[in-house]
Amino acid sequence: MNVQEYILSGVVESYVLGLSNAEEKAEFERMCAAHSEVRAARDAFEQLLEKQLLSQAIAPPANLKSKIISEIDIENDKRQGKKVVSMKQSPAMQSGWLRYVAAAAVILLVGSTIMNFYFFTQYRKYISKYDDLVATQTQMAKLNETLQTKVQDYQAQLNIFSDTSMSIVRMLPAAPDGPAIGGHTTVYWSGNSKDVYLVVNNLPKPAVDKQYQLWAIVDGQPVDAGVFDIQNGPVKMKNIPNAQAFAITLEPKGGSTAPTMPIYVVGKTTG
Amino acid sequence: MGITSTYTEQELISALRERDNQAYSYLYDNYSGALYSIVLQIVQDTELANDVLQEVFINIWRKIETYDASRGRLFTWMLNITRNASIDTLRSKGYQNSQKNQGFPENVNISGQVTQTNIDNIGLTKILAKLKPEHRVLIELAYLKGYTHEEIAQIEDIPLGTVKTRIRNALLQLKEYMQ
Repeated sequence: MNVQEYILSGVVESYVLGLSNAEEKAEFERMCAAHSEVRAARDAFEQLLEKQLLSQAIAPPANLKSKIISEIDIENDKRQGKKVVSMKQSPAMQSGWLRYVAAAAVILLVGSTIMNFYFFTQYRKYISKYDDLVATQTQMAKLNETLQTKVQDYQAQLNIFSDTSMSIVRMLPAAPDGPAIGGHTTVYWSGNSKDVYLVVNNLPKPAVDKQYQLWAIVDGQPVDAGVFDIQNGPVKMKNIPNAQAFAITLEPKGGSTAPTMPIYVVGKTTG
Repeated sequence: MGITSTYTEQELISALRERDNQAYSYLYDNYSGALYSIVLQIVQDTELANDVLQEVFINIWRKIETYDASRGRLFTWMLNITRNASIDTLRSKGYQNSQKNQGFPENVNISGQVTQTNIDNIGLTKILAKLKPEHRVLIELAYLKGYTHEEIAQIEDIPLGTVKTRIRNALLQLKEYMQ
């Protein structure tokens, strides 16, 4: 039997109306799954039947609906676990009933105490965990702040290299037999902002009570440009509006108003 | 009556599964009449039919989770619940016995025994009346009384194969009348 013959054999109607036996039902459901034509035929007959029966409807008694609705309302309440508990009990029933209630209450109380203890312990644990987290968070915030400052410094240093008005002053030992053989520093001097940055390429480590001092030589006179410690990267010095040269001397810690010691390194500006 | 545009079948089913009272009320308003007519034709007693319809609608509400759309439309599912509940009632009320005692071979014209004549003229019964007598009796036994094909073969004293063929032909004929 092909699919078309199967559809026209009456099995569709038999299935829909509930007249098929278990074997025929299973067979029909298999055919439905395998052939969309069978499904379509089933659906068409279902719709036809539905239309037919709806057109021949007989209204049930009017009060029946409210009866059914109140019935399912009760079931609905049961589903949601609501229960109507009668408060009136005969004394005999009450004592038996109360005993169970008392037993249940004691069990609940013990259970509740255990739960309280458990939750309090948990609470303590979480408080301490919370404190740890706050401390870690504060630490992280501080670290972040430090890093931000560092990033800003690096940004400023990067700006040195992108400043087109920057002149570079290489500073070398003033005399071949001076105190700083192999000494080498560089001044970056901005023509726009007159900012002065010093990079120490190589200088001997000073004694603890001494500090290097940068001087700008203006019209033959030394002008203080600040003291510095040897460190990696550029150090920002004092602003110098104009200078013919820069020189470095080793002065007592804190610097001097005028150089008291011989020049370590010196370099002429190009301007 | 008919399916208004308020709900698509899909929407109705999901609303019913969410136990939506409004959807349930809509379901009742739209389908109770069609189902009530089937109940009446099977149990043939108004009091009993009211009880059955109530049971049917509560069952629909309880079992909506088990409805499987891949097996057919919602109405078909409700119709089968209705038919099964009606036939169960018919049997449990001892109708089956009283009918059996009267002897089926003589009851070729079963619809003639209906005491409430108004039922003769409704729903399926009206279409059944158009069928050839030998077809009609089989559909009434199978659909309205709930007998299996084997039982019908015994009752009517005809071969099982003939019962099957006649019922299928009768159903195809019924479908023609519906169109």
